[in-house]
This record gives sequence, C-alpha cells and structure tokens, in this order.
Amino acid sequence: MYQCKDIAEEVNNYIEGGLPLTKRIGLFVHFLMCSCCRNYLQQIRSTISVITVTQPKEKSSMDLKALAKELHDACEHHDH
Amino acid sequence: MKKNSNSIFENEKTLIIKLIDGDQAAFEFVVSEHHNIMLSIARAIVGEAFADEVVQEAWISAIKALPKFEGRSKLKTWLLHIVSNGAKSRVRRENRMISLDEGWESVASDKFDQTGHRLDNVYPWEEATPEALLANEQLQAVIEETFQQLPAHQRAVLTMYDMEGIKMDEICNILDISASNVRVLLHRARTTLHHSIEKYQDKA
Repeated sequence: MYQCKDIAEEVNNYIEGGLPLTKRIGLFVHFLMCSCCRNYLQQIRSTISVITVTQPKEKSSMDLKALAKELHDACEHHDH
Repeated sequence: MKKNSNSIFENEKTLIIKLIDGDQAAFEFVVSEHHNIMLSIARAIVGEAFADEVVQEAWISAIKALPKFEGRSKLKTWLLHIVSNGAKSRVRRENRMISLDEGWESVASDKFDQTGHRLDNVYPWEEATPEALLANEQLQAVIEETFQQLPAHQRAVLTMYDMEGIKMDEICNILDISASNVRVLLHRARTTLHHSIEKYQDKA
C-alpha cells in the first residue's frame, strides 16, 4: 500500500508517466482513497501550468541588443 | 508562450536566410529568443563564473557555422548543443564540476506521520487556474524569486522541459546526465515552486 509520503515523492513521475505499471496502479488506488493527495496532485498540475505561463527567466545583466549587434558585426567581418 | 515572438521570423528557413544576409532585426530576434535558455544550460554545466563567456563563444561559433546549418534539427536544438559542447569543454579545461546534489532536499518529513500519512489536510487552491494565479502580481514575483533561488541544474531542467518542451532524452544529452537525474531535478524544482505558491496561498 502506498502512503501520502510516496505520493509526494513520486507525483511528478506519475504525471510524466515514468513509473512501472504496478506502481502507477498502486498510486492511482491511493488517489482514489485520499482527497488530500488528489488535491495535492491538482496543485502540482497548477504549478506546472503556472511555470509554463510565467516563463521565469535567468537573471542576467547582459545587454541582448548589444550582443545581437556584436554578432551581426562579427558576421559581417567574417564574410569580408 | 513566447514573449518576443515576431511573425516575420517564425519560419526558421526565413530566419536563417535573414541571419546569413546580416539582417540586424533577425539577430535581435534570435538572441532574444534563445539567449536565456543557452545561459541556463551554460550555468548548469560550467557554473556562474564562466557561463556568460561560454554563451558568447557559442553564439559566435553558431553564427559563423550558420551557412553550414543543414536544418536536420531545429535551430534551437542546434544552438543548445553548441552551448552544451562549449560548456563541457570549458568544464574539462577548468577541471571543475558542478555538483548535482546542490540544493537537493528530501521530502519535508514534518508533513507526514510515522506511517507516511499526511498530518494536515490539503485543500484545493482557491485561484487554481494559471490565469487567476497570474493576475496576482505578488504571486508572480514569488514565482520569479523562487525560480532564481533554484540551483542551476534545476533551473535548466525546468526551463527546457516545462517551458521549452524539450524531450527528456534530449535534456539528458545536453546536460550529460541520466534520465533518472533529470526526473529528480524536475521533481525538486516543481516541488520547491509548489511550496512557494502554497505558502503564498496560506498567507492570502
């Protein structure tokens, strides 16, 4: 029998389909019986959606326009 | 959802032709689209100190090699492999290795009793849709801040898998780590972000 702690450890593998069938069924049975873990699964799915929509970025002080110009100029010099 | 999308360059062949022709706007587009993920990969492989340099070198190599790009993979995948190879050689040269164990914690044991049952109830989030969650600027700031605090490997996996939709085996190749490590990194990153949102929901 799987417990809530197992769900917490395997929830992302459950979502991504990376588990052997017997374990997957075992976790599924736990979800049927435990509303807390069903809510937790839903929260993790919401977290993934939020990450996908928010698209947090790496912190960087790099001036991307200047980098693009440098590459553009390097490309022109390379051609000539 | 891309923030810098520019429909003129959506077609990759057109973009590549424009780049080879030296179109400044095409350069700005390609850099704004891919610099972030390249930086994320470089930081994961070689660390903060050398990452900017590695990414700049990767850009220069890529732009010079562009006329030979055969389009067998997507431009993004090709760029990611260039930066990954550059970062890996830099790791060898500098003889440094970033530990995958950085920032790894086991599941918070204080949430469960000795038999593995939850001690507290878990309730559905009131603002469960991403749109509703995102309408809240404070929460967006929480997500941004939590993301910045994740270890570099976790940020890189989360960026590639959840934001850019790159397949698991491709991520393994790019970061040179096993699929089970990618899964654990993804799990840790999502769990940390979930925890921050949960704390925010509790306060609200």
